[in-house]
Amino acid sequence: MKIVVFIQQIVSTQVKLQGVDYFDASRVSDDDLVINPTGKNAIEGALKLKDSQGAEVTAVCVRGIKPNKALKEAIAMGCTNAIEIADEAFYTDDPYLLSKIYAKALDKIGDYDLILLGVEEQSSSSYAAPAMLAEMLNIPSVLTAEEMEIIDSGFRIGHVLEGGKKIVEVPQKALVSCSDSQYFIPRYTTMRGILAAKKAVIPVWSAADLGLETSEVNADAASLKQISLTNIVIEKETFLINEGEPEEMVDKLLAKLKEDEIKLGA
Amino acid sequence: MKTLVFIQIRDDKIEENTLGILNKIKTTIKGAEIIGALLGKDLKDEWIQELGLHGVQQVVTVTSPELEVYLSATYTKVMMEIINQVNPRFVVAAGTVYGEDLIPRLAVRSNTSCAQRFVDFMVEGDNIHFHTPVRDDQAMKITQVVGDIAFATSRPGAFFVDENPSGTNPEVTSVSVTFDDADRLVKHIEIKKAERTVNLKDAKVIVAAGRGVAGKENFQIIRELADLLGGQIGATRACTDVHWVEETYEIGQTGQSVSPDLYIAAGISGAPQHMSGVKAKTLIVINTDEGAPIINYADYAIIGDMHTILPILKEKLK
Ligand SMILES: Cc1cc2nc3c(=O)[nH]c(=O)nc-3n(C[C@H](O)[C@H](O)[C@H](O)COP(=O)(O)OP(=O)(O)OC[C@H]3O[C@@H](n4cnc5c(N)ncnc54)[C@H](O)[C@@H]3O)c2cc1C
Repeated sequence: MKIVVFIQQIVSTQVKLQGVDYFDASRVSDDDLVINPTGKNAIEGALKLKDSQGAEVTAVCVRGIKPNKALKEAIAMGCTNAIEIADEAFYTDDPYLLSKIYAKALDKIGDYDLILLGVEEQSSSSYAAPAMLAEMLNIPSVLTAEEMEIIDSGFRIGHVLEGGKKIVEVPQKALVSCSDSQYFIPRYTTMRGILAAKKAVIPVWSAADLGLETSEVNADAASLKQISLTNIVIEKETFLINEGEPEEMVDKLLAKLKEDEIKLGA
Repeated sequence: MKTLVFIQIRDDKIEENTLGILNKIKTTIKGAEIIGALLGKDLKDEWIQELGLHGVQQVVTVTSPELEVYLSATYTKVMMEIINQVNPRFVVAAGTVYGEDLIPRLAVRSNTSCAQRFVDFMVEGDNIHFHTPVRDDQAMKITQVVGDIAFATSRPGAFFVDENPSGTNPEVTSVSVTFDDADRLVKHIEIKKAERTVNLKDAKVIVAAGRGVAGKENFQIIRELADLLGGQIGATRACTDVHWVEETYEIGQTGQSVSPDLYIAAGISGAPQHMSGVKAKTLIVINTDEGAPIINYADYAIIGDMHTILPILKEKLK
């Protein structure tokens, strides 16, 4: 089975950015760059299939900020290959353009049975790319998967639904977006994987390599335009207890609640 | 502005976020022409009346046995047909699982993009500016979909339902669509409905746990604390999905919405899908990670291990 996993490299949301940092990637330290969390869940989904069925898993990352780190990690987790797609012209904050780049990358990759992506890419809060890509490729798809199983006709997948869970079946050659359910909790990198990642030569494909004119995928081509981006100032003040022995912490909390006249209990 | 709203039905009723969007459109878009797209196997007259009450002027209905359950292919096909006939300026759906599935597909078929999970929007001239929180709600992004048609989804929980709607009966038209094998590639097997045996809506105190609880047996202390405080327990989907606790206790977009006076959240990271169901007067957080997004919402937070903190808290409260 051939599986392609699309991941993204984002600035960890643990890092509190100030407005300007969003636009200036060079201000972010390499340590703060991570794979988008649900992208990592997608890698896990692929590796589970690789473990049980045998599969060639190719991780693909578009541009990103200093991309190679995410792809090296993907290999260290167990992915077979990695491809970096980089071009200064790319504007990836529009999920439509991002999906267009993904679709072209798949053309170049050629054969595949399954495409996996994370449910969301946190830095631009876009949840649209998986559905958009499926539509562009015109292949069956299931979004927000929580578990998946191989069956004769393809895959049986349980996905998130308001008020429960929905079970569907899709044939092979499908696209699935993965949530951070227990089933997709990512594994750690292994020593062997880390060595493989060190040795791996990751090809870099440009817009031209994909047969794309830069004018098709640059900021001017975006149909989702960003007008502004501002930090959200949280007015709420948190009474933070982050030091002391556990018992002292609880005492501190109870004392403060009493002072604030917050009643514990109904 | 001609606005097409994808009407979602859940548990035999018009879903609340959809009603919330209607309210938002009415109050934000002056002279909006609101058209509702209502798809299903059997459609009820009372839904159509309710839509009218909430400001929908025209309801386009499509009925077919194949529309009993949402499937991407059939619903996308029908909605495209409606779009082609109605020619709206703005197409919007509540950002439920189905809404988030549908809108990007419609956008692609219309050769454009979409804005997602807006918590607000404004009309600027002939354009709409969408406000979407990004990066775990650290920043607000304002976007615009350029072109003749703008697609967008709202964030669940973002808008209130009009309590005193006063609209009149809408005009009803219908569209018919036929399906073929290409629309049947994804096969619906079943919907496993979570049993809602306990209603958390009126709970004044909720002690909720997330993945940090790390096992079914550890819910014992959560129950004990809840009992002690005369409240209920709650959980994230991460816990209900693996059956550490009954599904009825799931809180959030796909679980129950709650509005207690006190919400104690232990081992919960604060994903937007969880937080959209929580409107608490006071939020106390216990988490090992000071960087967890939930800390931003907390009134009080202890950075520590819930497995140590909660038993101490219980003893002190006794
Ligand atoms: C379409 C969709 C809808 C969804 N709807 C919902 C919904 O309605 N409700 C819902 O809850 N989720 C929902 N989810 C899932 C949601 O995205 C998150 O995956 C989920 O809320 C995470 O649950 P969590 O906070 O328990 O787990 P995690 O995100 O894994 O967080 C665990 C937290 O526990 C902390 N922790 C770990 N150990 C300890 C310890 N010993 N002591 C204290 N703290 C500790 C960690 O620091 C972390 O912050 C939905 C997802 C999708 C895709």
